[in-house]
Amino acid sequence: MNKIIWINLLLVLNLSAEYTQKVKVPSMTFAVAEDKNIMVMQRNCQWCHSYGYILNQGKQPKEFWHKVVIKMREVYKAPITPHDEKEIVRYLYTHYGKD
Amino acid sequence: MDRREFIRLSLIASTAVLTTSSSAFETSRPRDNQKVSSVLFPEKGDMIVYSDRPPLLETPRDVFTQAITPNNKFFVRWHMTNIPTPLNMDTYYLQVHGEVEKRVYLTLEKLKKEFKSHELTVALQCGGNSRSAFKPTTSGIQWGSGAMGCAKFKGVKLKDILNYAGLKESAKWITLKGNDKHVMSTMPHFKRELEIEKIADDVIVAYEMNGQDIPYLNGYPLRLIIPGVYADSWVKMLSDIYVTSEYKEYYYMDEAYRIPDNECECETPEKRVEKTKPLEMMNVKSYIGYPLNGAKIEQKSNITVEGIAFDKGSGIKEVLISLNKGKTWETTKLDKEINPYAFRVFRYNFKPMNKGKVTIMAKAVNNEGEEQPFAHEIGWNHGGYKYNGIDSVEIEVV
Repeated sequence: MNKIIWINLLLVLNLSAEYTQKVKVPSMTFAVAEDKNIMVMQRNCQWCHSYGYILNQGKQPKEFWHKVVIKMREVYKAPITPHDEKEIVRYLYTHYGKD
Repeated sequence: MDRREFIRLSLIASTAVLTTSSSAFETSRPRDNQKVSSVLFPEKGDMIVYSDRPPLLETPRDVFTQAITPNNKFFVRWHMTNIPTPLNMDTYYLQVHGEVEKRVYLTLEKLKKEFKSHELTVALQCGGNSRSAFKPTTSGIQWGSGAMGCAKFKGVKLKDILNYAGLKESAKWITLKGNDKHVMSTMPHFKRELEIEKIADDVIVAYEMNGQDIPYLNGYPLRLIIPGVYADSWVKMLSDIYVTSEYKEYYYMDEAYRIPDNECECETPEKRVEKTKPLEMMNVKSYIGYPLNGAKIEQKSNITVEGIAFDKGSGIKEVLISLNKGKTWETTKLDKEINPYAFRVFRYNFKPMNKGKVTIMAKAVNNEGEEQPFAHEIGWNHGGYKYNGIDSVEIEVV
């Protein structure tokens, strides 16, 4: 039922010639593994992307995750400190790792 | 080697023997049958969602029984999290500058009223569509096969816009940029580049998609349409065309969205190919929209397998179906061609006589005689691009 109301609202929105208010993309929760240092993920990753990006990769070797973290800093300019770099790789490998 | 290590290695070795036909380093089928999200996105219906920031939405398989993908089912892929809503169309400009006679600021209204409009139904596909087929896993979103769609676009020829601004003799390249922004201000914009000499006549700057404004998530109000070419150059929320006398290097041109520049367009994780090239033209592909993987079909009932096929624009010659894992192939009936760039619907009638599992495979052949390979014949590439393996669904006859 809720879905139907939404769809109707959105159809109305779509027929109008232009947007009259900011389009709001819904906020979703992508649940990732709890950890003693989940803060390191919160303060480094979520500026730019959801945890969906992590879950979508599936379980990966340590080297894969390390490369990703370096890419986030080098290419996407995430201000990841060397200390956090180690912790993020540890988190990812612990919960989403394989050999 | 100690005993434990030896046992571990033996286990790996025995697993490898057991799975020789689908070893860890062989391309397999892309992921399928993923649940649609219970959360709906603006102007979108049921979609598979990989991320909300930035939004990444995949079209479910059952949509691919029709030539036109509805706007509310059309896939969504953004690189940047900050996607502004263009609220005041009087001040939304497509700016053309650089090596031009006059710098121009075109409003949507001006494009609609003062330029000749053109319509084209054309397929659009993410370069990483079906990426999840590649093993070992490459970086990038692990799409199933629904990062594609086909829509009827309406807009203005890119060439008309460039001519309106007046190209100087020195003009050789254009840089295209949209209004989406990265959170970190030091991160470069998503920019793509085209060589002016190679811009085809049917490249358009679209303002309509299937008779409506382009949805916000698909790049409202303006999107570049390049028939036959992978979506990485179809810049969304287009706002800036910078004309230059020489090629400029950008991250999304020179680092991302590139494949090995060799015949198989493949490499291995251990030995990456140094010389690379952009993705550009799409290879031939087909996809079954009905029945779905795992469907239960009643014995002796009449069913019609339906799906779509497309390529770079040479057009689809035929789509073949196999019910015996590729030993023999039968022809399907193709719907009338809208144009060579659009999805072409195929249909195949079949009556399952025996109970049990049946694998239905579809293989498209284009007018240049190119046909889809089996998944395991496709070599790996580091970005997981251009997968076009023969599609298959497994049904159960009950």
